Amino acid sequence: MDLDKQNANPTILNPSDLPSRRRTSAVHRRDHGGSGLFDDLIPQYNYLNDPFEQPVSSSDSDDDAVEAIDEQEVYDLISSISDPEHPLSLGSLAVVNLPDIHIIPPASPYSSISTVLVEITPTITHCSLATVIGLGVRVRLEQALPPRFRVDVRIKKGTHSTDEAVNKQLGDKERVAAALENGTLMGVLRKMLSTCE
Amino acid sequence: MSDIQQYLLDYDRSRREASAVAENSATRLRAGDLKLLTLIEELGEYFNSEDGAIRAKTMSYLAEVLAFVPQKVLSLQQRNLLCDFVLARLEDSEGLGSCAKGLIALEERGKWDSERAKKIVETLLAHTHPLNQFRQQSERYPVLRLIDTLMAKYREALRSLHDATPDFLSRFIAYFDGEKDPRNLMLVFSILRVPMTEWNIGADAQDLFDAVFNYFPITFRPPPDDPYGITAQDLKDRLRECISSTPEFAPYAFPALLDKLDSTSMNTKRDVLQTITSSVMEYGPRTVSLYSITLWDALKFEVLNVQEDDLAEEALNGLAAIARVLSQGTTGPLNAYLRPIIKECNEHLEDAPTKQSQAAARILHKIADVSPEVTNILLAGMLPNLFLLFQTADTIAKRRGLLEVLVQLIRANIGVYGDWRSIGTAGEHSSNNALLQFRDQAREIMLNGLETAPIKEVSFRLVCLDGLLQLSKARGLLNDEDVGKIIQLFNAIVIHEESYGKDEVKEAAINGLVEVARQKPQVVIDKAFPAFMAQLPDTDMVESRGYIPVLEAFAKLAGEEKVFDTVILRLKNKFASAVKQNASSAYIIALLSAMLYALTKGANKLEQNPESSSYFQDIVLPLLKRTSSSDESHPRAFDDEATLDLVGRICNIIIRAQSAEHQETITAELYTMFRGTPQSELPPFNLNAPPETNRTMIVSTHLLASFRKETKLPCELDLLISSLANYTQQANLSASVRFASLRQLSLAINKFYSAQALKTCMDPLVNSPFELFVPEKLDPPRIRIMFACLKGILLRSSPALATLYPHVLSFLSHAQYGTTVAHGFATLLQPDDLLTKQNHCQISGLHKQKSFALLVPNITRAFREASPETKPNYLIALSGILKWMPFDIVMEEVGQLFLLLLQSLDLKGEDLVKESAIGTLTSTLVEKPTVVEEHAGSLISRLLANSIVNKEAGTPAKVRAAALRCLTIVPDKLKVEVVLPYRRQVCKKLTAALDDGKREVRYAAVRCRAKWLEVDEAGDDD
Repeated sequence: MDLDKQNANPTILNPSDLPSRRRTSAVHRRDHGGSGLFDDLIPQYNYLNDPFEQPVSSSDSDDDAVEAIDEQEVYDLISSISDPEHPLSLGSLAVVNLPDIHIIPPASPYSSISTVLVEITPTITHCSLATVIGLGVRVRLEQALPPRFRVDVRIKKGTHSTDEAVNKQLGDKERVAAALENGTLMGVLRKMLSTCE
Repeated sequence: MSDIQQYLLDYDRSRREASAVAENSATRLRAGDLKLLTLIEELGEYFNSEDGAIRAKTMSYLAEVLAFVPQKVLSLQQRNLLCDFVLARLEDSEGLGSCAKGLIALEERGKWDSERAKKIVETLLAHTHPLNQFRQQSERYPVLRLIDTLMAKYREALRSLHDATPDFLSRFIAYFDGEKDPRNLMLVFSILRVPMTEWNIGADAQDLFDAVFNYFPITFRPPPDDPYGITAQDLKDRLRECISSTPEFAPYAFPALLDKLDSTSMNTKRDVLQTITSSVMEYGPRTVSLYSITLWDALKFEVLNVQEDDLAEEALNGLAAIARVLSQGTTGPLNAYLRPIIKECNEHLEDAPTKQSQAAARILHKIADVSPEVTNILLAGMLPNLFLLFQTADTIAKRRGLLEVLVQLIRANIGVYGDWRSIGTAGEHSSNNALLQFRDQAREIMLNGLETAPIKEVSFRLVCLDGLLQLSKARGLLNDEDVGKIIQLFNAIVIHEESYGKDEVKEAAINGLVEVARQKPQVVIDKAFPAFMAQLPDTDMVESRGYIPVLEAFAKLAGEEKVFDTVILRLKNKFASAVKQNASSAYIIALLSAMLYALTKGANKLEQNPESSSYFQDIVLPLLKRTSSSDESHPRAFDDEATLDLVGRICNIIIRAQSAEHQETITAELYTMFRGTPQSELPPFNLNAPPETNRTMIVSTHLLASFRKETKLPCELDLLISSLANYTQQANLSASVRFASLRQLSLAINKFYSAQALKTCMDPLVNSPFELFVPEKLDPPRIRIMFACLKGILLRSSPALATLYPHVLSFLSHAQYGTTVAHGFATLLQPDDLLTKQNHCQISGLHKQKSFALLVPNITRAFREASPETKPNYLIALSGILKWMPFDIVMEEVGQLFLLLLQSLDLKGEDLVKESAIGTLTSTLVEKPTVVEEHAGSLISRLLANSIVNKEAGTPAKVRAAALRCLTIVPDKLKVEVVLPYRRQVCKKLTAALDDGKREVRYAAVRCRAKWLEVDEAGDDD
């Protein structure tokens, strides 16, 4: 049953080494390098939540600051997809990597359409499941990104023996739609996406 | 009519009445009214009946009578005769079950000799073989019970029967063929286990094994509301005991089990693995040594190619069991078993880090844990190659993979040889620990790795750090000097290393220090503390705040009991010199924070012996004096209210554990604080006191919180209450001073009134001249007083609430301040860090139920009658109460509250109200979805409206996210047919939320939409 796995023994990245958002933002938050251990010594709600003052909704002020969708966010959306062969995430298998995700802003000021380009790296060059993985990434992004994003999923150049053909398949809207009609395939995809946070 | 005639008549109509007849016969037998002979003679006619059913019923009658006859009524001779009689009836195929029941009853009334026991078995085998020819379970069951009894009580007799009769065992085994009923099988397994474990089974071993293994794996599923309560697990356990009962089964058991291991069913595999493990444990080293390598070859597969994690864990248990059993025997077989394991694991190390090198680490950890012999052989077999590979490794990732294996081996070693605080499973034998030979090399590569690897190699450094930590924990392994070096390196990481990423390495280093402090407190004090102290300036001249992380780490160490006192002492000294050197307020606050954190961590220690330490003299008194003084001993930082809060909390945590007697030494200084000024000139008694004296009220609040309720306050309680009430109304008080004073009001009422006085405690405030409840006098300060008092009272569930709450509720319709009062309800049950049991407050266990019962029904009633303008006030008050109410209290009433909660979602600008309403709606969905079902449409549309950015409503991000999270669980909790009609609408509208400006909201929207998209798929399947 396990023998038919195409790559039975893949290399695994440690979760500590995967890119995460906290890495960049946490450092700047506290200029003194502390971890905020002492912040909770005096419970906050006593002072903030005095209901007799007009309710200070603390989120009001930072509501103005827009957090745009960036590469890390796209990475977070797809890195938790499971590999169809192993109970491991695409992130820890390095199938999706942060540097291979690009958000291309609208081509002209009149257009609002941005493009998300994701290049995936199969664990081995002849992996026949590359198409399924690509499809999974594509479905996930189409479900999770707002419609102003066009999704483009490709196999990274030179990482797969038939990358051209697979890319053609993934780029062809009708073939993608046809594939999604296939019950077995949808079952596999659903299982892959079930681990998404 | 004779009894038997009556019995036969009653039998088909009512079993109970038939039994009563039999019981009656038994009573007559005992009394002598009925002779046994007569009874048997009366039966004769029916035993000879043509009708099999009548013969069976007659036997049933006899069996019942025998079961009802008291002990000692039947003589030995009578019993023997009866026994022969019943045995003779066995030739008749009708009434077998009753025969067996009769025999059981006879056995209970007098022990048989062994000849009789043998004869019974022989007769059963002769006339009823195979048992399965009897179709009724109720017929077979008594027979099995009879044999089980014989097996239990006449073991020797049956064994001699087996020894004397060559084909007995094979007939005996075949007797049970084809049994399928779970109740009977439980007995069959237990019967067969006796020959398995105790008899010389010789050539019948395979038959005996097959007789039970035919049932493997058990796939039985008990019917719903099964009256017999036999579970599949019961059967599995008995079957497993049978299989593992004798080493003579090994030649059949292991191949058969391994064959079943190829099954695709996870349950079967789990069963197989568990059975292998228990068989290995039972069969003993000699037998296991024959199969150890075969088993390894099969079991390793489950670990190296994990399918389900628990299967891998079971397989590991099996592998460890083999090692454990072989450790009990000679070294040869153990070595033979471990050799291929070492070889295989070494091979997997070559291409670390992979899934299989991780699996190798798991295997080694599990096996090395079992005994000193095994751990030593594995270390000797693995480590030389591991170190060699480490030296020649070309990537850091590979080195990490190798070290992971090393760390697992060290952990297993600690399991066997123990750590510094406790000896391991091997007892006190640290001298023969093979790890001693490798410790220097291991320590060196990991020290080196942690020290020199680039800072961005987080996972590699984490492994090094973990390995070093384990090394320093291992009992008798490193000397203090070497542990000291490791501590210094950890220290350097905590103190000097620049911050990177999530600072996982720093955090691990701090936790590592704490853990070493547990094992080697003195070394940590000697090596780590001076370095920490050196990093903490006496005064901070430069603007850098680099001391914060150092203080954080240092304060964390206080969590370890053995170094707690030293940490506090050093912090205290640092604080004293910082004040002397005029350090900045920021630094002083940081030191106080560290002290408070450390004290909180060590609170248990303070509670155990509160008066033994000198903290009161050394910390509390100086702090209080500095607080109130106005000369140079008063640091500038102490003018800051936040600092005073810290000071108050430090004093509180030290004082509150002390006895009332000891506390009395300070109660008189509650407000004066050693100033020397009379109390009446200070707040809260003097409204015209100098403004700077107001601040110390914050410290007084914490002192008051720490006092036991038996202590004597510095003034009359009523005077204190009224003074505080007047004091808090002053307009010029800062928010925190006012808040502190209001909490004093709650504390004083809660702690110091007797239950009787509590009922009238608010009277001075309610009566003239104060007149708290007169609507015309209502204003925000008075509303605050109202709620502060109520808060103290409600925690005690006082009956006074029944009269006080209606007053407050009536203000919800107050034209000017109705909304303010409504917001006040949120404060009532809000958790408070001062009104706690630790602070000796009186908290009744049911106070939340009480307030709920007094408030909520009244609010819902008044809401219906309220004018449209004041309706929102009721919704606000309701959500404020529900916000802090445990849901199981709300649960009963939630049906009536649900519509009100939905309406709160329509309020404009009341974001906190919405948030809490969504919280209650979420709990309702989780706990009682039936209530939601009929309102699904309105709930979904309101949640949608609150989850999408809308210029007018201006719903904040927090509410949007909460609404989305609530919407996420809707499809899980409601029936598909209820949810499905809304799917399209929800998925469409949520695309807007996917483009929300806030990441948190988008994140919730993605999850929510994914959930709703699945609704359709689930619907397709149906």
